[in-house]
Amino acid sequence: MPRIVREAAVSWEGNVARGTGAISAVSSGAFTQLPYTVAARIGIPEGKTSPEELLAAAHGGCFTMSLASELTQAGTPPERLEVRCVVTMDEIEGKGHQIVHSEIEAHGTVPGCDEATFAQAAEAADAGCPLSALIRASATVAVSATLS
Amino acid sequence: MATDRTMSTTWHGTLMEGSGTIHAAGSGAFGTLEVSWPSRAEAPNGKTSPEELLAAAHSACFAMALSHGLAQAGTPAASLDTSATVTFVPGTGITKVALTARGAVPGLDESGFVAAAEAAKAGCPVSKALAGGPELTLDAALA
Repeated sequence: MPRIVREAAVSWEGNVARGTGAISAVSSGAFTQLPYTVAARIGIPEGKTSPEELLAAAHGGCFTMSLASELTQAGTPPERLEVRCVVTMDEIEGKGHQIVHSEIEAHGTVPGCDEATFAQAAEAADAGCPLSALIRASATVAVSATLS
Repeated sequence: MATDRTMSTTWHGTLMEGSGTIHAAGSGAFGTLEVSWPSRAEAPNGKTSPEELLAAAHSACFAMALSHGLAQAGTPAASLDTSATVTFVPGTGITKVALTARGAVPGLDESGFVAAAEAAKAGCPVSKALAGGPELTLDAALA
C-alpha cells in the first residue's frame, strides 16, 4: 500500500500564558490560521480550537470511515452514519496533562443490519481505526453504537 | 480539572464511494470540513483527513509545550514555528510523526533549543497519547 503523508504547521508568538498560536492545514489547505491559546485550551474555548478538539475531529472522522468500511464488507453499506467523539484531557498527579479518554457514540441508518451486527461492526471499526490504536498509550477509548 | 472537546461527523454511503462531513467545531473555530476516502488516500484536493487533523493537533500541542518549557527555563521564545507530518499506511496504521521546530529565542544557543524541543516532544499530551506507537522524529533549530 502507498504511504499517505499529511502535514500541518503552527506559528506561535509570545509566552505561554498570554501568547497565541495559529494552526494551518498544509497538505489540503482545508483550514488556515486557526487561533489557539492556553486559556482557551484548558478553559472556555471562546471561538478557539485546541489540540484536543482537532484530535476529536481526527478520531471521530477516522472511526466513521472505519465503520463505513466494516458495514460495506459485511454486505450492509450504511445509508447514513452519525458519530460523536468527545476527547478528555485531565491533569494527572505527577504526570501533568494527559489525554485520558475518547468517547465515541455512533448512530446509523443501515438497511438490512440489526443492532447486534451494527454493534459488532462498531467494535471492528474501533479495532481497525488507526487513530483508536494510536491514542491508547494514555487514553481509554469507549464505543457505543445504536441504529437510528 | 478535566477538559472535554466534542466533534461530530456524518457519513453517507460506502467507504470508497461515500463521503463525510465533519461538523463545525464546538468551539466555533472552524466550519464544516468535507472528507472522503479518495481525498484521504490520494491527492487531498482541498479536503482534510484524520491524519491532517492529527498533524494539526500534534504540531499545536508540541508548540505549546515548547513555548512553556522555554519560558520555564528563563528563555521565553519570541516566536516559534512548528510542523507535524503524519504518515499513514493503510492496513498497517499510522507509522510516523515527524515534528519540526524553528525558534527565535533571545539568549539561548542551538543545543539549548534542541534540548527544550526534545523535552516538549516527549512531554506534550498528544506525544504521550501516541507513545510506543509510531516512530516520532524531531528536527529542531534556531531560526
